[in-house]
Amino acid sequence: MAMDGQAGSPLPGAAGPPAEPTGRGRARPAFLPSDLDPTVFDEGFLRQLERLQVLMRAPVRGGLKGGRRSVKRGQSVEFADFRDYTLGDDLRQLDWNVLARLEKLFIKLYVEEEDVTIHFLLDASASMESGHPSKLLFAKRAAAALGYIGLASEDRVAITSLGGRAGRRQVALRGSGRVFRLLSALSGIAAADGPTDLMAAARHAAAQLTGRGVIVLLSDLLDPNADRVIRELAATGSELIILHLLSPQELDPALEGDLRLIDVESGDGIDVTVDLATLDGYKTRLEAWRESFADLAARRRATYVPLSTSVPLTDLVFAELRRRQVVG
Amino acid sequence: MSFISPLALLGLIFVPAVVAMYLLKLRRDEAVVPSTLLWQRLVADVEANAPWQRLRRSLLLLLQILLVLILAALAARPFLERPAGLARDLVLVVDISASMAATDVAPDRLTEAKRLALEALRELPAGGKVSVIAAGRTARVVVNATSDLGRVRAAVENLRVSPASGDLGDALNLADALAARSGDAEILVATDAALATKPTTRLEHEITVLEVGRDRKNQAIVALAVRQGPSGVTRSVFVSIANLDIEPSQRQLQLYGDGVLLEARDVVLDPQTRSEAIIDDIPVDVEVVEVRLEAESGLEGAADALALDDRAWAVVPPTAPKNILLVSEGDPYLENALLFLPNVNVFEVAPDRYPGDAIRTDGTDWDLIIFDGEVPDELLPGAVMAIAPARTSILGEVVGTLKDPGIATLDPDEPVLRYVDLSTTHIGSAKELVLPTWARTIIPGPNGAPLLYAGELDGRRAAVLAFQPRQSDLPLQVAFPILVANLTGELMGGSAAPTEAVAPGDPVSLPLPSGASALRVTRPDGSVVELVAGTGGGASVSFSQTDLLGVYSAVPVFPEATPTPGPTTTPSNGPSAATSASPSPSISPAASAGGSPTPGPTAPPVDPNAPRRFAVDLFDPAESNIAPGSASEIEALGGGGATPAPSGSGAPTQTPSPGPTGSLEASGGAGGSGAGSAGDRPAARDELWVPIVLIALAFLLAEWIVYQRDAVTRLWRGARSRLGRGETAAAPRQGRGT
Repeated sequence: MAMDGQAGSPLPGAAGPPAEPTGRGRARPAFLPSDLDPTVFDEGFLRQLERLQVLMRAPVRGGLKGGRRSVKRGQSVEFADFRDYTLGDDLRQLDWNVLARLEKLFIKLYVEEEDVTIHFLLDASASMESGHPSKLLFAKRAAAALGYIGLASEDRVAITSLGGRAGRRQVALRGSGRVFRLLSALSGIAAADGPTDLMAAARHAAAQLTGRGVIVLLSDLLDPNADRVIRELAATGSELIILHLLSPQELDPALEGDLRLIDVESGDGIDVTVDLATLDGYKTRLEAWRESFADLAARRRATYVPLSTSVPLTDLVFAELRRRQVVG
Repeated sequence: MSFISPLALLGLIFVPAVVAMYLLKLRRDEAVVPSTLLWQRLVADVEANAPWQRLRRSLLLLLQILLVLILAALAARPFLERPAGLARDLVLVVDISASMAATDVAPDRLTEAKRLALEALRELPAGGKVSVIAAGRTARVVVNATSDLGRVRAAVENLRVSPASGDLGDALNLADALAARSGDAEILVATDAALATKPTTRLEHEITVLEVGRDRKNQAIVALAVRQGPSGVTRSVFVSIANLDIEPSQRQLQLYGDGVLLEARDVVLDPQTRSEAIIDDIPVDVEVVEVRLEAESGLEGAADALALDDRAWAVVPPTAPKNILLVSEGDPYLENALLFLPNVNVFEVAPDRYPGDAIRTDGTDWDLIIFDGEVPDELLPGAVMAIAPARTSILGEVVGTLKDPGIATLDPDEPVLRYVDLSTTHIGSAKELVLPTWARTIIPGPNGAPLLYAGELDGRRAAVLAFQPRQSDLPLQVAFPILVANLTGELMGGSAAPTEAVAPGDPVSLPLPSGASALRVTRPDGSVVELVAGTGGGASVSFSQTDLLGVYSAVPVFPEATPTPGPTTTPSNGPSAATSASPSPSISPAASAGGSPTPGPTAPPVDPNAPRRFAVDLFDPAESNIAPGSASEIEALGGGGATPAPSGSGAPTQTPSPGPTGSLEASGGAGGSGAGSAGDRPAARDELWVPIVLIALAFLLAEWIVYQRDAVTRLWRGARSRLGRGETAAAPRQGRGT
C-alpha cells in the first residue's frame, strides 16, 4: 500500500481535528491527525507492520472471508483434508488426480479463511490524560499500530472508547485502505471530563461485540473494578489482550514530603507523608497490583502486557508485543 | 546536681510547643495524581494519617523534644558540687625565674607549672578569689583578688620566663601580705624549687607547692670576660663554664666575634665543677664577643635542659690610650721600647721635677710610672715600675750590687716572659734585691736574688727590674721590646678590664652626650626603646628594660636642628682638652703613640656619639642549677607555727610531688592557722556545660541524619547500584505475560 495513493481522498466522517491549510495540500496527507506523529507511520514502518498479524490462540468463526483460518472448511488455497464424495458435492472440489489413479471419488477439503474483528477498547478516562507522554496518546498510537496490522491482514478493526459510563464505538473498518480513517477516528478520541465507571463502560462496549474476535483493552486499570472488567471481557468468548499502560511518573513517583494527593477524576484528596519508605511501599504495592492482573489474566487465558509509556512505539510493536506473541 | 539559673528551665515549655507544631502541621502541598487508588491502599496499610500513630513513628519529633530538653538544661547551667580543696582566697605564686625555662618536662617547666596551677584552680570554692604573683627577679602582682577565673587564666597563660635569678622569698612575703586580707587564705606556689636564694621568712598562711621539674642536666656559662693580652696587642677571652649536672658532660664551646665564628672547641666538663677556657688571639677589631655552649659536635638537639645560660655576650671596651710617665734622666733604649707600644702616650720628666710637675691636670691618674734609678718616697697613684732602684724603697729592699749576674731557670708559664728569649742575655751589673712578700719572681737571678719581680702592692701593681737595660745586652736583643710590652701590659692591664656584664633586670645608667635629646636603645630582639632625657638636663638616663639576654646598643638622638657635635668641637670637651694640652712646660711629650692627634696627659676624647653597647648576661650558677629543690622545705615555711620539715631536702634525686591533688591532700592535714575557717568554705562547682553541649551537638547531628535519611539512603542505593550495574545489566528482563 502506498500512502500517496490515498493522499487526495479524505474520507467522509473523519473525526480528526481540521487539517491546517497548507500551500501544498496534496503533498501532505492533510487528514493525518496532527497528534499522531507522522514520522511514526512512515512508509517503512507501515511496511513492517504489514508483515505482522494479530495472533490468535485459536481459529475463529468470522463473517466475511478474511485472512484467518476459520473453523469452517471452505474455499481457499490451503489444503485441509480429503473425504468421500457424496451426492450433491461440488464436482469442482473432486480430486481428479486421485480419481485417475485410484478410480475413487474424493472431495478435497480446504481451510476456510475468514476475517476476525479486532476490538480496541480504549480507556478514555481522565486518568489516561496524565503522564508524559500521556497514556491516552500512547494508547492511541499503540491502537493505530495494531489496527494497521489488523487492516493489513484483512481483519475487521473496531475502535471503542470507554469514557463516563458508556463505550462509544467510533469506527469499524476493514481493508488496509482504511487506515487513515482509523487514524482519524483515533485522533478524535478525547478523555472524559468526569469520573469514568470502567465497569459500566466495558459492559456497554461488550454488549456491542458481534461474534468472537480479539479484544485489545488499552487502559491504566486505575479503577477499583478493574479485575471485574477483565473477568467480564474474558468471559465474552473473544480473546482478550490487556495492554496495561502506566506512565513513568506512576511507576516511580517523584513525590516527597507532606502532600495532599488529589485524584484527577474524582477530585478526592488523601494526605500522605511521602518519604523513601512510603515510596518503597508504593512500589511494592504497585508490583503486587500488576502481579494480581497478570495472575488474573493467566487464569482467564488472556494476555496481560504491562507497559510503561516511555517505551518507544517501535519497541512496543516489534519487540514487546512480538515477545508476548500478541503479534507475529 | 543544681542549677545556677533555674529560671531558664522555663524553656521546657517549648516541648509542648514542638508537639503542638507537629500535631497542627496541616498545611500540605497539593499534588494531582491520576488516581489515589494505590495510595489509598498504602495509607490504609500504614495508617499514617492518624496523628498519634504519626507521633509514635516520628523519630524526628522525639529528637527535637530531647534537643529542647538539653538546651533548656544548658541554659539553666547545671553544676555538681564537691568539697573545695582550696581556701576561699587563693594567692597563686608562679615562679618565672630562668630555671623555669628548663625543658626537662615537655615543653618546659613554666608551661607545666601553668598547667598544674590552672588545674589546681578547679579546686577553688565557688566565688573564691585568686591573686596571681609572678616571681621573677622581683615579685609582681599580675592579678589581684578577682573571682573572674577567665582573667586569672589569661594572666597565667601570659606569664613568660624572665631570664633572671628569681627571688621566691620576696614573692612569698608579698603573697603572705595579700593573703592576710582574708580570713581563709592559702598560698599556692608553682615552682621547680630550684632557688638561687632560699626563702627563709616564715609565713602566716598555708603554702602548697606544685612542683615541676625532675632533671638537673645543665651546663652554663657563668663568666665571660675579654682581657687584653700582656703585650697589649691581642685580646683573650676568658670563659668559665659550670657543669651543674652530676654526670660529666662534653660540649662544644663556640666563640663568635661580631657574629662570625672564630673558634670552636670541645670541652669536657666534670660534674659539679667549673672549668675555665681561655681563647687567645681575638682580632683587635672585634667589638662584640659571643660565646655559645653547643651540643657536642656531631650531635643534634639540645644538650642540656636550660638553653638560656648556654649563650653569653661581652662587649670589648674601646681601648683608650694609656699614659706612661717615665721619670728618668733619659734612657734611649727604654724610651724607644716604650714608644713602640701601641696605643700608649709616653711622657718623661726628670727625677728632680717629680712629683711636682708630674701631676696630671685633667684629674686622671697615670697608668704607669716608671722610675729609672731613684724611687721617691711619695708615689702618685697608678702602677709603678722601678728600674735598678738605687736604694731601698717601698718597692723593695736593695741589699747590694751584683756583678755579672746569671739568669736562673725561668718559669715557662710566666706570662710576662711569653715569647721572651733570655738565653743569650748578659747583664753587666744589677742591684741585689730581696723579693718582697707581695711579689713573684719573674726573672730569677743568682742565689735567689730576683732580677725582675712583679706583684700587687697595696692595690697598685708594681714591678722592679734589678738592672738598667743599658747595663746589659738585652736592649740589643729582640727579647727586649717583647719583655717591655709584656711587662707594661701586665702592669697596666687592670684598666683594660671589660665593662661589667649587666645582670638581667638591673637598671643601667647610660651617659647622654650633651646636645642629645634622647637615647635610642636597641634591645637584643630588635625592639627599640627611646629614652628621653629628663627636664633637669641630667647627663645620663637610666634604662631598666634589661630583661632580655644579649647585647644592647644605645645611640644618642639629636634634635633635628642641632648639628651633630663632633668629638673635637664639642664645648664640653673643649675645656678639658685645653687644660690638659700642656700641664706643665717641663713635661715634654716624648712622643705620641696610638695615633692620637692631640697628645696630652688626658685621655683623648672617645667619640661620645658612638653607639654605646652593653651586654646582659645571666652569669648565675645558682640559677643555672636547675636541680629541683625541696618542695616540703617551702611548704614548711607556711602555716605559721608549724615546724620546718626535717632536712634531707638537698637530695638532688628527690622525686617530684605526685601531682596537684596529691600535694593538696597532703597539705590539708598539715594546715596551720589558715585552715581554721576551712569548714565554712563553699563547695567547688563543676559546671556541666561541656558534656551537655557535646550531647546537644550529637542530638543535632542525629536529627540532621534522620531528617536527611532518605537522601542518605538514596546515596547508598545509588552507590550500590553503580557497583552492581554489571550484574543487573547481564540479568534477563523479567517477562510478565502469560
